[in-house]
Amino acid sequence: MAHLALTGLRILDMTQVAVGPYATLLLGFMGAEVIKVESCARMDLSRGSARPRPGGEGLYPGGEPGERPWNRAGYYVHRNGNKRSLTLDVTTARGKELCLRLVALCDVLIENYRASVMERLGLGYDVVSQVNPRLIYVKISSQGATGPEKEYASLGSTLEQTAGLASITGYADGKPLMTNETYPDPVVGLLAVGAVMAGLRQRRKTGKGTCIDLAQREVTAMLLGEALVDYAYTGRVAQPLGNRHPLCVPQGVYPCQGEDMWLAIAVGSDAEWQGLCQAIGQPTLAHDPRFATFLARHQHQEALDSILTAWTQTQEHYQAMHLLQAHGVPAGAVLTGGETLVDPHLVARGFWDVVDHPEVGTYRQVTTPWHLSRSARQATQPAPALGEHNQYVLGELLGLSHAEMAALEAQGIIGTRPVGAPPP
Amino acid sequence: MADSDGVLDDIRVLDLSQEVAGPFCTKLLAGLGAEVIKVEPPGSGDVSRRLGPFVGTVPDAEQSALFLYLNTGKQSITLDLHSPTGTAIVQRLLPACDVLVESDAPGTLERLGLGYADLARRYPGLIYVSITPFGQTGPYSHYKGSELIVQALGALMHTIGLPDREPLKVGGYAALYTTGISAFAALMLALHVRDSTGYGQHVDVSAMETITVAQIHASIQHQFGRRPGRRPSTLVRAQDGWIHPGLERGVRDDTWSRVCVMMGRPELATDPKFATPEARREHQAELIPLLEAWTSTRPKEELYHALQQLHSVAGYVATVADLFTSPQFMARNFFHELTHPSAGTALYPGAAFTMHGAAWQHARAPLLGEHNAAIYGGRLGYTPEELAQLRGIGVI
Repeated sequence: MAHLALTGLRILDMTQVAVGPYATLLLGFMGAEVIKVESCARMDLSRGSARPRPGGEGLYPGGEPGERPWNRAGYYVHRNGNKRSLTLDVTTARGKELCLRLVALCDVLIENYRASVMERLGLGYDVVSQVNPRLIYVKISSQGATGPEKEYASLGSTLEQTAGLASITGYADGKPLMTNETYPDPVVGLLAVGAVMAGLRQRRKTGKGTCIDLAQREVTAMLLGEALVDYAYTGRVAQPLGNRHPLCVPQGVYPCQGEDMWLAIAVGSDAEWQGLCQAIGQPTLAHDPRFATFLARHQHQEALDSILTAWTQTQEHYQAMHLLQAHGVPAGAVLTGGETLVDPHLVARGFWDVVDHPEVGTYRQVTTPWHLSRSARQATQPAPALGEHNQYVLGELLGLSHAEMAALEAQGIIGTRPVGAPPP
Repeated sequence: MADSDGVLDDIRVLDLSQEVAGPFCTKLLAGLGAEVIKVEPPGSGDVSRRLGPFVGTVPDAEQSALFLYLNTGKQSITLDLHSPTGTAIVQRLLPACDVLVESDAPGTLERLGLGYADLARRYPGLIYVSITPFGQTGPYSHYKGSELIVQALGALMHTIGLPDREPLKVGGYAALYTTGISAFAALMLALHVRDSTGYGQHVDVSAMETITVAQIHASIQHQFGRRPGRRPSTLVRAQDGWIHPGLERGVRDDTWSRVCVMMGRPELATDPKFATPEARREHQAELIPLLEAWTSTRPKEELYHALQQLHSVAGYVATVADLFTSPQFMARNFFHELTHPSAGTALYPGAAFTMHGAAWQHARAPLLGEHNAAIYGGRLGYTPEELAQLRGIGVI
């Protein structure tokens, strides 16, 4: 019988925006109880504005912010499934006291503020580890908890630059480019899942909690490991290679039928090259002296690209992929996000959950990049409305009375509408 | 309390994986103190030994930077898994192992009698991690993948690059490294279950799914009515490279006016085209040349620090060389010196994270078959004569 890996594990989630929320989304899939802490004055930035500007940047279902846009914002919704939402203004004495009482009930506290924020709030590791000596405190920050740049602000796109990833990403003209999204955030979120598990194992061995310092910039730099080691030994500075690979020819993306449709091909051996020639109906190419051997193909890459382009332009990208793969050639359609939602392979593997969200409607949710044979992931729980679980967390877990909760609400320490929202 | 030798110092890993993703996963395990026994094909070894870049003047299996980085802290034994003698030796190693990591095409190890179902019967506590481009099931499970192919199918590439050019991959082996991180996280989850219940399981990690998770934005945007596309670069030229001024998001109210003063253009502060973060996003094409008039004569790191002081989210495009002189990386001792008998001494990137009470373990990558005598002789009890015979028939 499959059961959930993390049943019984309680996580106090003080993260926001992307990197931390990805980590807790994944931990939630595996069964952890994740209590997401925000406040009405400072909700997760990914919830967008309390009063979004018409036609602004926010992503809402059907383009409609709706009555409570903070519960419908696309980025928030997709990153915060499997969590419970608590609003608690920890900048107040009462809010902080309640937060510390919750710390005592949790196994893990995870946060991704600027390095000194939790200390300023009086919730640094020194304090919370006194309250709960068995707590695993996971501190995710841009630059790490120490060092001269520890207070520097960053977005995922900043880290692509400062960790070096942009310096090796780009066309062959050598100009660096960014990913246009925030590749480092989910990467570090994935690693943080492993770090939480490492902390729990340390606790199992020592009986004590621990503090983990996870610097996004350092983890991102690890993605360039071979280039860093190469530089350390030789002084060579890695440059962008476009879509090329030194040992694969042909390698690149080639235009297909339709607007902005492409096929990726990566041929790593003579056998794959021969398979490619068969697949595209030009078996004689395999023996063409310009292309018969790896070195010859390397020398005539441009000519080869032209021949392949002439063929791919007549092809539909998925069909061409299946045809080439049937001939043993590594090939893949360059999919858009929309295409991945209905990709037959991802669908067959049960990768997407169809979520019916009370304030959003139906959408497909990214799940986990792993399948554990005896520890199934749970189906996505829709991302919670702001403060949806105040009663559960403060009432049931902390035992506050209705009167106490009402007082907190009157003082603005808890609530379900952000500061600045129009009255309902 | 003295640091322990790591949270995995009681865990032994049999690592049959090759190339990038599997080895990166087991490198992280070694950093946490696990004993990792890397099994390499006799003669050529792990394919990453051939991939380079090579740190010496000629390609040498002991001098591939990719191999040297990805295999720190492991032991290497050579073994021909495709011979019955080789698989029999694996069977002798397995009882003492907690984790097996492999990256062969689905079904390959099954045909050798080393599939999960076979091994689980004998070793119910074994955690068996399979890392492949597309996972163990589904219509593409037997398709061939690579760094480029999974970046394509995971929808990572389509939005990277310039609007008038073809989609562009993220540089290096970013997708395969990330897949190694997925495998690491999944394995640690399975280990948590084993610590609690005693049983192992099969962990199926897919590179395509890893990239689809990493490109979660694409699926969000397509469902919420936006069609993201390739966009013009927003990097700005500095004297010695590139910066991103970081003025469009997450800045303070007075950041822009202070930047204008610093640039010697105070009148720009009130120009409505640039007055708010949203306006600056909208008029980026006009803004970049104005900024470049100032930035292009100044060093990128100086600009980075100056702009960060004004509460922007500025960045600079660090080259690999810049990372070694980064004051932040140096202050945190991110790089660690390792000495390898063939490649020599150099600084390597260090810990993925630091944990109070458990120091990250740093040790060099092994030579091909360096631990044959210790593992086969010392641990399995083969005599020197038997080892010589196994070598003679090409099994080790």
